[in-house]
Amino acid sequence: MAMASETTLVTTRNESGTKWWTRFLDPSEGTLAVLLLMPAALLLTLIIVYPVCRLIWTSFQNLSLTSGVPATFAGLENYTLMLEDPVFWETTWNTVLITLITVPGALLIGMALALMANLPFNVKWPVRLSLLIPWALPLSFAGLIFAWFFHSEYGVVNDVLRRLGIEGVIWFNSANWAFAAICLTIIWKTSSFMALIILAGLQTIPRSLYEAADVDGAGRLRQFFEITLPLLKPAIVVALIFRTITALQTFDIPFTMTRGGPGTSTATLAMYIHQNTVDFLDLGYGSALAVVMFALSMGVTAIYLRMIRAKG
Amino acid sequence: MTLKTTMTLLLAGAAVTLSSSIATAQTNLQVFVSSQHRPDVWRKAFDIYEAKNANVKVTIETGGNTSEQQAQYLNTVMTAKDSSLDVMILDVIRPAQYAAAGWTVPFNEVLGSDAANSMKRYLPAYAEANTVDGKVVALPAFADAMFLYYRKDLLEKHGIQPPQTWDELAAAAKKVANAEKDPNLQGLSFQGKAIEGAVCTFLLPYWSMGKQLVSDGKLSFDKDAAVKSLKLWKDFVDQGVAKKNIAEVATDDTRKEFQAGNVLFAVNWSYAWGQFQGAESVVKDKVGVVKLPAVQGGQPASCLGGWEWGVSAYSNNKTEAQKFVQYLSSPEISEFMAVNAALLPQFPEVYTDADVTKAVPWFANARPVVETAKARPVTPRYNEVSEIIRTTVNAVLAGQSTPEEGATQMEGRLRRVLR
Repeated sequence: MAMASETTLVTTRNESGTKWWTRFLDPSEGTLAVLLLMPAALLLTLIIVYPVCRLIWTSFQNLSLTSGVPATFAGLENYTLMLEDPVFWETTWNTVLITLITVPGALLIGMALALMANLPFNVKWPVRLSLLIPWALPLSFAGLIFAWFFHSEYGVVNDVLRRLGIEGVIWFNSANWAFAAICLTIIWKTSSFMALIILAGLQTIPRSLYEAADVDGAGRLRQFFEITLPLLKPAIVVALIFRTITALQTFDIPFTMTRGGPGTSTATLAMYIHQNTVDFLDLGYGSALAVVMFALSMGVTAIYLRMIRAKG
Repeated sequence: MTLKTTMTLLLAGAAVTLSSSIATAQTNLQVFVSSQHRPDVWRKAFDIYEAKNANVKVTIETGGNTSEQQAQYLNTVMTAKDSSLDVMILDVIRPAQYAAAGWTVPFNEVLGSDAANSMKRYLPAYAEANTVDGKVVALPAFADAMFLYYRKDLLEKHGIQPPQTWDELAAAAKKVANAEKDPNLQGLSFQGKAIEGAVCTFLLPYWSMGKQLVSDGKLSFDKDAAVKSLKLWKDFVDQGVAKKNIAEVATDDTRKEFQAGNVLFAVNWSYAWGQFQGAESVVKDKVGVVKLPAVQGGQPASCLGGWEWGVSAYSNNKTEAQKFVQYLSSPEISEFMAVNAALLPQFPEVYTDADVTKAVPWFANARPVVETAKARPVTPRYNEVSEIIRTTVNAVLAGQSTPEEGATQMEGRLRRVLR
């Protein structure tokens, strides 16, 4: 609407014979808005719109840098190849499964951590610090550390189990155990992020509400479900959006822990994209995979946004 | 001073500066060397060249610990058409890929009219690995192959000869295990992790059965042999000859565990020998090396290793770089590297050189192994072929799929890549 009104303004001024550049000296409200938005819009075009368009274009090409042949238009070939590719389906399923397990897992544990951190401690910083550390640790570090934790011979997990009289498992030798180890690591790594956002939400809830509930004789459990949870909803939704999108892009932790093994049973879609583009230099196929992942992320975000709007 | 004389002096000065700068024009060669292959000793070989060629200066660049990581780095440099690297060392599986991508300069012009003939000086496998469609795309740096390492002391103690077949190896391992009753002693260690080494793990028995994976650029997959190969390794795990978590074992894990005295037989490359004889080794002077066993009724087969010198197509000093590579790929440097870095020579005659046999006596036995070693499939899409084979080996050894399922998956995926 602003654009439309601006164009009419410009035409009238031009007709009245004003020099075009005077608009910059004495801009109308519409022109000013466009001018002020321009730098940000240009930057976004450069770093988001252009790469995404380029990605989609490349996904319709036969472009392999190891072949020595220039790119040719391939139509939907990369996409039909993808549908027949068992590894694509396996890695996509693994990605969805990781999301379905680790997002609710991190939410529950993050919520518990936030509630504990919100208790009236005398000294608050040790609690806050221990919440921050897993979040501040780089993902690949966490992956490498936990790879050692779960190592069948030298790892601390099996050592503890052995001391308890339980025969440990060779974690990375079985798809299910390797998957479990990865999910545990991701939950450990991400629940502190959930906790931080939820803790911030908790602190915006006025004490007086709880005092009033106390007067009315509501128990702790009732207070949690009637006051805490409803008022936390915006914080939870924000945390869920961020966490779900990063879960769909899971790469670092499985990459450093198992490299997708045994076989390809713990590989994620992001790892498969990386393999095709960086290791195989098959940019056409890799881009087609990336387009699918992009669509997946956009779809999930759209669902969440709709949920927020529906709930008001 | 008049303007005229000033101008004359200035011009004369400029001319002198210009000519002197031409006389001392220096070529800087940036050389990528794999960090696991003694860049410190290569440096000495480069120093000799610098001393002879005053106008050339050589700088070493290293990075990445494994062949795969180094390939990733070089991939980025080459795809960016970066001119900063002039010469790079390439794993034997890569010259064909690099040539197909147009990343290296052929040596045919500098080698003269009969390039094929000049390649005959090398061991045949290396002449072959570096020649693509009649073009010499790289020159051999050094050779390598896989060997069977064994504990001489333990075999002698139990009166066992080094095994000729994999069945004999399993029997020997069981005999020693029953007598020694040492729970930490593994019968056999090999590479089951999804790394490049696992490709060789799969191919050793497969080749031993006389089968090829790729012939004339087409897939010649023998499913029966593939099932048998995968089953051979899985049986070692099931029978307790190899440890249960062999799917976690990479090349250097095999080396470390053998060096710590926990392994009876080990499949490994030649580099392990030097480490076994080192001061920190528990098994110093207790190690024997022989060619790898064969399958029952088959031929022994080893996996061909070795590295090659290529000249970047994006280098600004291609002529100087090619001259330098010709020097590096000469019998003199081969001998120098054998004596000082225990790298296997790419020339047959260097194995019997007096200085070499004195420094590394076992090289005399290594020559027939290198000569009969087989090259991994030559294809521009080798990275994908490798990934398919190693993840399948890994999945089978982890019990994730049966040898039959593994072979079926492998065939299906290889057909898609080599279509």
